[in-house]
Amino acid sequence: MRYITNYKIIITGILAFFAFSCSDSILDKDPVSSFSGQGFYKTSSDAQAGVYGIYDALQSTFRVNFAYWGEGRADAVATNHAGDPVALIQNNLTQSISSARWNNIYETVSRANYAIKYIPDVFENESEFSLQLIAQAKALRALSYFFAVRVWGDVPLITEPYESVDQEFFVPKTDKEKVLDQIVEDLIFASENCKDNFSGDKTRILFTKGGANALLTQVYMWRKQYNEAIESAEKVLDNSQYSLVSMNDWSKIFTSGYSNESIFEVGYNETQTNALRVLYALGSDSDYFPSESFKAAFEDGDLRKNLIYDTTNATPKKIWKFFGEGFSDESPDPSSNNIVLLRLADIILLKAEAHNKLGNNSEAIKLLNLIRKRAEIPELDETQATALYGSVESAILHERLIELSFEGHRWFDLVRTGRAISVMGPINGLSDEGNFVWPIHEDALNRNPSLQQNDFYR
Amino acid sequence: MHSYPLSRCKRELTKRTVLGILFLVCCAFSNGYSQNQSVSGRITDEATGEPLFGVNVIVKGTLNGVSSDLNGNYSIKNVTPENILMFSYMGFTDQEIRIGNTTEINVILIPSVDQLDELVIVGYGTKKKRNLTGAIVSVGSEDIDKSNLQDPISILQGRAAGVQVTSNSGAPGGGMSIKVRGNSSLNSGNSPLYVVDGVPIESSSLSSLNGSENFGLNPLADINPGDIQSIEILKDAASTAIYGSRAANGVVLITTKRGISGKAQVDLNISSGVSEIPRRLSVLNASQYRQVILDSYRNMDNPVTPNGIILDSLNPKNNGDVDWQKELLRIAPQNKIDLSVRGGTDDLKYAWSSSFLDQDGIILNSNYKRVTTRLNVDFKVSEKVTFGQSISYTNGVNNRINAGGTGNLSVIRELLVRPPIFAAYLPDGSYNGYQFGRRNPIGLAELATHLNKSNRVIGNQYVEYNILESLKLRSNLNLDYTSIKEDEFIPSTLDYREGYNSGSVRSINNLTWGNETFLSFNKQLGESHNLSALAGLSFQDWKYERVGLDGMFFSSDNITTLNGAGTISNQEVNITTEHSMLSYFGRVSYDYKGKYLFEANLRADGSSRFGEDQRFGYFPSAAVAWRFSDEAFLKNVDLLNDAKLRLSVGQTGNESIGNYTSRGEFMVGANYLDYSGAAPSVMPNSGLTWETTTQYNGGLDLSFLNNRLTFNADVYLKITEDLLYNVPIPRTTGFSYVTQNIGSIENKGIELSLNSRNLVGDFKWETNFNISANRNQIKELPENLLTNGFIQNGDFHILKEGLPIGTFYGYKFNGVYSRDEDNVNQVTNGALGQQFKGGDPIWDDVNGDNIIDENDKQIIGDATPDFFGGINNTFSYKGLSLGVFLQFSYGNDIYSEINHQRNSVVRYNNLSTDALDRWREQGDVTNFPKPVSDDPLRSDSRVQSRWVEDGSYIKLKNINIRYRFPDNMVDNLGMRKLEVYASALNVLTWTHYTGFDPDVNSYSGLREGIDEGSYPQSRTIMLGLNIGF
Repeated sequence: MRYITNYKIIITGILAFFAFSCSDSILDKDPVSSFSGQGFYKTSSDAQAGVYGIYDALQSTFRVNFAYWGEGRADAVATNHAGDPVALIQNNLTQSISSARWNNIYETVSRANYAIKYIPDVFENESEFSLQLIAQAKALRALSYFFAVRVWGDVPLITEPYESVDQEFFVPKTDKEKVLDQIVEDLIFASENCKDNFSGDKTRILFTKGGANALLTQVYMWRKQYNEAIESAEKVLDNSQYSLVSMNDWSKIFTSGYSNESIFEVGYNETQTNALRVLYALGSDSDYFPSESFKAAFEDGDLRKNLIYDTTNATPKKIWKFFGEGFSDESPDPSSNNIVLLRLADIILLKAEAHNKLGNNSEAIKLLNLIRKRAEIPELDETQATALYGSVESAILHERLIELSFEGHRWFDLVRTGRAISVMGPINGLSDEGNFVWPIHEDALNRNPSLQQNDFYR
Repeated sequence: MHSYPLSRCKRELTKRTVLGILFLVCCAFSNGYSQNQSVSGRITDEATGEPLFGVNVIVKGTLNGVSSDLNGNYSIKNVTPENILMFSYMGFTDQEIRIGNTTEINVILIPSVDQLDELVIVGYGTKKKRNLTGAIVSVGSEDIDKSNLQDPISILQGRAAGVQVTSNSGAPGGGMSIKVRGNSSLNSGNSPLYVVDGVPIESSSLSSLNGSENFGLNPLADINPGDIQSIEILKDAASTAIYGSRAANGVVLITTKRGISGKAQVDLNISSGVSEIPRRLSVLNASQYRQVILDSYRNMDNPVTPNGIILDSLNPKNNGDVDWQKELLRIAPQNKIDLSVRGGTDDLKYAWSSSFLDQDGIILNSNYKRVTTRLNVDFKVSEKVTFGQSISYTNGVNNRINAGGTGNLSVIRELLVRPPIFAAYLPDGSYNGYQFGRRNPIGLAELATHLNKSNRVIGNQYVEYNILESLKLRSNLNLDYTSIKEDEFIPSTLDYREGYNSGSVRSINNLTWGNETFLSFNKQLGESHNLSALAGLSFQDWKYERVGLDGMFFSSDNITTLNGAGTISNQEVNITTEHSMLSYFGRVSYDYKGKYLFEANLRADGSSRFGEDQRFGYFPSAAVAWRFSDEAFLKNVDLLNDAKLRLSVGQTGNESIGNYTSRGEFMVGANYLDYSGAAPSVMPNSGLTWETTTQYNGGLDLSFLNNRLTFNADVYLKITEDLLYNVPIPRTTGFSYVTQNIGSIENKGIELSLNSRNLVGDFKWETNFNISANRNQIKELPENLLTNGFIQNGDFHILKEGLPIGTFYGYKFNGVYSRDEDNVNQVTNGALGQQFKGGDPIWDDVNGDNIIDENDKQIIGDATPDFFGGINNTFSYKGLSLGVFLQFSYGNDIYSEINHQRNSVVRYNNLSTDALDRWREQGDVTNFPKPVSDDPLRSDSRVQSRWVEDGSYIKLKNINIRYRFPDNMVDNLGMRKLEVYASALNVLTWTHYTGFDPDVNSYSGLREGIDEGSYPQSRTIMLGLNIGF
């Protein structure tokens, strides 16, 4: 008995020894609550999730910066708020201000690059579904780069995902025209392959053909390609999904979102929030309030005035546009409003501008009056427009100033139309075209020896 | 090679365990005795001739035992002539005497020639101290018991050469950092591997709430120091290589007390004490403060009127003159009870213990309660088979306050910088709430919930089978299971927003389990050859799971659980990560007459964390030692008892990176509104592998004067290559870093320790001294990582070739411009910035271009000490003993971020009394610049030498007085032992540092030597009673 047991022990011991010589399979530990990098894109739902992930990055990109980039350096806003707001309005941009960071933009680009590379592998055959996903990714990449070239000028152009340390990390700046070429290429793809529409509200917060065409219109206007701009704008205007809302519903474009006028807005909710209230509506401590010149710019009887800012005696004036007339809550909570990036009024006015540039003022005036009529201010003819604002173009830009106020257009309009120095010079001494771009953030320079600071800021 | 799936392995394991248990049950047997005679006698010390009291006299193989009285007399009944009496006494060689037909046996005990015969725990075994070939330092239970500390890491501070321990937080159960022979890793953790009774335990904080690292908890606090028999720290590669890829930072082996054969010994240890802050810092009072704020507005370029609220002394919210340290600090009681029972027979030995600790923190509303219980059993079922286990359970409840960092919620920061004018309470007795971005710290401490509740089981079961006399098979199953629940709630009373409250809950389960099976062989061949060998394999698996929710807008402050939340703002549902290792290890040792000793180790480790082609790493080591005192030419030197020279070389690894880093990661939860999204979160690097540390060690052990003086010295060189580092990469990649194997670090150093029994006899005096110096240097960093020649490491440190890791880098403060005209070179702040004026700081213009910018940053300090150590003196006379323990660190700098906060008017901070010397008007000569509200020069927040201070210190860490009552008196009370003691901790600190305590380290990682306002350490006085039956 004793011996047998001894043998048993020995045998068990030896067995155990070999049992644990089990091969490396023990060492295969796949992630449980996430996916391994290369292994993610496998099914069509992965592809869909990957694309939603790009929008997630977009939410971060625009939560504050749509205002810093688009309004912060222009004449419609005034501020007492230290940090970026004061630096921007006083034209004291430094390489440490937060709006000089491009991290979120490139995070969006990276996610888009992953999707664009891997989604084709998920589907055996090219399908409408896979193409529209790729088209959304390309549109989002184009949107990101379009902000990048307008904010920094030349920027590194990266169109492949990073998956290996053997890839080139230190990418130098690419000429902005080349970046714009890539943007146009992506947007043409998107305008051909995006879906016409999605069901319900989704159609306003995801990229559709309409969104791609609207963005393309902005890009062509930036590049002064007016014929192309008109062409893509027409595609938007002809799209039955989009119509100007009535004046009664005008506020709701921003306060409720998902309006018929909206072409693309970045969706937010209670937990995925943005900084609209901190930017515009804290009263005593918000980043921005309307400038004196902006308040004086309204024509008599403009119905939009009371909807845009606090016209009561209160000072400083809150910007009501995004929250509704009479809004008085001063808590610095995050906001859940969507941020409207592309809407029909913008495209109509851009088209008007393009016609004006091509000498077709009657068409331009017609489009301009569409917007004026809604606000119940007198429709103008060419002579009146010139008499009031100096030129038809100025009349259109004035209309953009009011209609699109605080939505992140003004600074880019000034730069695009060559008016930045004449408008901002008297306010903050802006005098050099090299100063139109932002400096590259010091962190980006520190991380990439191949990058050079933009000339003006060297 | 066989290829079994994991499940098969588990089945095999179960099968083997069951077989083993069956066998053990079959073979159990017991002995009986017959008794009739009695024996007595006197026991004396051979050296002095004095009687020895308290000598254990046991009839071998029985429970029958007594101890000698004060006069050295003993008497033992119920013995037979065949019995053998065993006489044992600490510090003396055991004696065994067969009784025969006599009734009187007088014994002369010989002082143990050698503490060198003591056994030291090494990886997978034990060794006689005299046969060690590596560098191992050992701390025994006596030091542990006398320290009166509540966790095993603190005990090592100053007691073990080469081991640097710093405090991350002085809160009860708060975090500690431990570093063995310097930092050998940039990114992957510098803490050693902890092995408790053969269980490799989780030693990093699992807390996930309230939990940035600078106020983490100490997971080792789950181990009751009272249970510990010894702590061994393995330092050189010869000792650690057997632990392979986890051993690059050293290995700490903790061994708990096991059962003893003989009569059951019951020990009860009760202690109570109080803690207080050893030092308060001076701050301005209300009127001094108001004046500074007024000055700070007046000093603006375009002065504006200060916010009325600050000046309005009639407003009940602002008419306070509050001493916040007085409001928030307190005298805090603590109580501890330890109860243990140890006993058994030769065949079944047990040690059971239980302890309860209730410790208040010195800051309002912080408290730690810990219950531990442990059972260690060794059961010899036959001559060949032993079965045993160690199992411990700990329940910890840590009621914390938010003490860390400089964030908006930190109570410590508010303790020092909250404006004195802010009333603590309003006239109606309610808290004075949120003001100017600041929450009321009393409210924060009293009303906010930060509760950490943990349950932990550490267990090890083994079967040992003596196949032959010289060949042993041991297999053990180990596990370490921790379950933590954390709750956080911040009520709306603390917020500025109506109804704005928030709460979080986390539930964490962490399990590591594994099996180690090894054969060990030990044989003496002939007279002079000793050979031993070890071969084994091990498997270890880790699984971490976390579930959590964050919520806000709770319907009421009275419902703090997440079901009351109006909005769920974040959910972490079932986050799970896993990791596994498979290892093979072996060792061969040989010695010739104990004079020439050799040892070689090899471990092969495979880890799931690394790229598929890089999974296995091989870690060899070899050591030789020469006991030259045994050579003929030294044989007759009486002065020298023992002398040994040791040399070792070997390699170890560091595998501490994210479980899935090498594969890259897509995270879920990158949602767009309600649509589930995923996004890349970790950039893959399929080539990732271990950090490899190559270490050379040379050691010398000398023992003089009949072993009264022993001296140990070690020198070492440690080179770590293939450092795992989160290399910052351009954000244009979409990632902020990628983990790579880069560069190398070198640590070299010297460790000396000296133990001397200065006086022996009735009055004894013993001194233990140790001192260590480590020089750390970054040898190589890849060119492409460097910006301006270095890597920025956090806000204050840089990593640069040729410099140590703890290097602070910033602007050098050269005083204050007395007048505008003193800026003769018209130095400006940046190329376009304004010119410095009177009252502004004078910055060292390194390149002399009269522009202060990034190019003028320089090295402004180093957090690593030149040397550190400790000295312990023990005096005893009969039953009375006094221990005095000093601990020191020299040459380390501290970057005092809290001093920055304390000397800057940002956000209406209160200032230290140094501000009374501030620059006020042209011509003032001072070193305190003018305070400027909303300072465009940002003079205070620059990283600068003004906030770097000498952190050298000598600390009277512990004084311990105890009296052990004479045994004859104790006998009459029916006791075995009675001891009373008093102990004082952190009694005095000599330092130039101006913060709370120079033993501070707000971050446990590489960013050493930062004081961000950690929970201060306390001075504690304890009284205790030790009763043994």
